[in-house]
Amino acid sequence: MNFWETVTGSDLTRDWKAFEARAEALPDDYRAAWGQIKGHFSPHADFTGRNLTPLLDAALGLLEEAATDGQSVHEVLGDDIRGFCTALVGGEGARTHRDRWRQQLNRNVARKLSRLGG
Amino acid sequence: MDDLTEMLKGTLEGCVLEIIGSEETYGYAITRQLNELGFTDVIEGTVYTILLRLERNGLVQVTKRPSGVGPPRKFYALNDAGREELAKFWAKWQYVSSRIDRLKEGGR
Repeated sequence: MNFWETVTGSDLTRDWKAFEARAEALPDDYRAAWGQIKGHFSPHADFTGRNLTPLLDAALGLLEEAATDGQSVHEVLGDDIRGFCTALVGGEGARTHRDRWRQQLNRNVARKLSRLGG
Repeated sequence: MDDLTEMLKGTLEGCVLEIIGSEETYGYAITRQLNELGFTDVIEGTVYTILLRLERNGLVQVTKRPSGVGPPRKFYALNDAGREELAKFWAKWQYVSSRIDRLKEGGR
């Protein structure tokens, strides 16, 4: 990633476009699963979302391989797409937006309290 | 046998290591092998997340090979760290299973 890409995010736009183009080529049920996967991933994004790129690439790779093998998306991912995404992100304890907000809130409250001398 | 998923959770990674350890293989084949063993609930998505974790932890060597149709397949083989991890898994398994057997037989 060079400076220009860092500042403009052009690498992200390019990657996402490439992902969507690959997803377009999948069968319908796989495309639906892809939509769900993106939804489940989004809370795990960091500030720019760059941490998700390799994960999305991996998930899409699995969908492509499985679709080529002629399996149904249900055979591959089961009922628990959310669980699949959590496992990909790195387990139940993966940090999400909400964790960060909570931490920030706690920090702010603690600071205010200490200023009040409480 | 149904509903093994919860019980398998901790050991599936070791099973996958063992399968990769015997020969270089890919996700779909690993899933099929586990299914044939009798773990019918195991799906490819689960195996895939394990494979990615093994890769992230540096236990496997990944090679992309073109397949006849579709995208190239990722093949997995154990590296030295992976073999070490596999040995540790079997040691732990031995420990747990011997204790549980003993418990079942009522001995202390």
